[in-house]
Amino acid sequence: MPTMRCSVIVTCVALAAISLPLRAQELTLPMKKDSVRFAVIGDMGNGSKEQYAVAGQMVAYHSKFPFDFVIMLGDDLIGGKNPADYQNKFELPYKPLLDAGVKFYATLGNHDVSNERFYKLFNMNGQQYYTYKKGNVQFFVLDSNYMNPQQLAWLEKELQNSRSDWKICYFHHPLYSSGAYHGPSVELRHLLEPLFIKYGVQVVFAGHDHVYERVKPQHGIHYFTEGASGELRKGNLRKTDLTAAGYDQDRTFMLVEIAGDEFYFQTISRTGQTVDSGMIQRAAKTAASRPKVRPGHGGLPDRAVAKAIGVELTRAPTAAR
Amino acid sequence: MKRRIRITHHLLWLSLLVFVVPGLADRKRQPQDSEAARDFKPFIDRVQAYVKMQKKLEASLPALKPTKDPAQIVERQHALAAKIIEARRDALQGDIFTHEATERIRRIIRKTFVGPEGRRAHKTMQQDTPFKVVAMHVNDVFPENIPLTTTPPTLMLKLPELPPELAYRFVGRTLVLKDIKAELVVDLIPNALP
Repeated sequence: MPTMRCSVIVTCVALAAISLPLRAQELTLPMKKDSVRFAVIGDMGNGSKEQYAVAGQMVAYHSKFPFDFVIMLGDDLIGGKNPADYQNKFELPYKPLLDAGVKFYATLGNHDVSNERFYKLFNMNGQQYYTYKKGNVQFFVLDSNYMNPQQLAWLEKELQNSRSDWKICYFHHPLYSSGAYHGPSVELRHLLEPLFIKYGVQVVFAGHDHVYERVKPQHGIHYFTEGASGELRKGNLRKTDLTAAGYDQDRTFMLVEIAGDEFYFQTISRTGQTVDSGMIQRAAKTAASRPKVRPGHGGLPDRAVAKAIGVELTRAPTAAR
Repeated sequence: MKRRIRITHHLLWLSLLVFVVPGLADRKRQPQDSEAARDFKPFIDRVQAYVKMQKKLEASLPALKPTKDPAQIVERQHALAAKIIEARRDALQGDIFTHEATERIRRIIRKTFVGPEGRRAHKTMQQDTPFKVVAMHVNDVFPENIPLTTTPPTLMLKLPELPPELAYRFVGRTLVLKDIKAELVVDLIPNALP
């Protein structure tokens, strides 16, 4: 009997050992034809071995999910800003991606200096804030360190003129965050969110808090914090009613695919584990429409919660966060 | 009849309140605005003179275009800083932030940091990584290893607008006028934060 129990345990351990790498690097994105594909990293530029490990994982996923570009949520170069820092904290870790023609579009964080905007590989074209389009998606990249009236006026004009189906904003400081260390930028939220609502921004990415968090939709806007692609504050996430999913145990990055009206996302840890995934349906431009969230790994816990916050689940959660 | 008179009387008072009183308030505000404009005028002139000088010095350096070579970015920043420091070797605290502008700015900051809006502004600054506050002087290179403190956006709505070459930055309680291309301290107001 003990021998049998032992063999069961061994089998379980073996199965777990086999299933771990299987689950690692499992792609949940649909890879639809002509979709917009990109990766998301934030607070990565510290040159640590963990940053390199996340970059390695991005390279591994790129072979399965060939994303065309990466958005950087700030703190692109933490600490020194010498030429060697540009190399060690950016060029070397992401070399395979850069060599494969993947473009990086940066925003400035509180550890960055303004002159980084002249670094060609950050694609900022010498601007503190800028916009660009990819397919049916327009990105608005802001400098949240210095939200002056000129920048606000520029943002409003650009949002007003945008005819893209998807409007995505990204910048360094999160408007919503359950990170204990920094928390949300409430003042910035009061200025930016009315513009996002007025002009139909659907998704917002930020970093700064060194964790991953997906916030329940606020006024129909989906907020993500990805501030752990190099830095990490382990255990710093104080999940609140706002948290839809979160992860603070290891470094992470995100993969995103936008196909027509569907926005798919997958958040992956340094070791290749999927810690969150799901799909956001672009709402039709009617007052009655509500955003739909289809949670995957680490998605909303159950339909009761979804009902309580007013989102529509199109599939039950598939894994715990 | 009496009722009609009373209604007319009320309407007259109402129109007085709606049209005349705000007009008076505007008239009262105007001198204050013009006072502020008068106090800020020398500051704005000096800012413009600084930018003119910066552009002139910059023109003597190779043009900075987006480049893949970070050494070019770093070297140019240092070269520009060296030229500005040389050109402003006699510059003193208060050369740009005139006394009148300093007093106005202090008042604006004090007003911004009270009430619920003030708490939000405080929080904006507190949420950035606390760091060891270093003493700042005119012509100092802004330390690149310390994280930036976000300048509260509601405060920036009230301060005189700066050209894109310059920025208001807080380092501890000091308000710094920063040259963002040369990463230099152009001028500062110590203990600007209450």
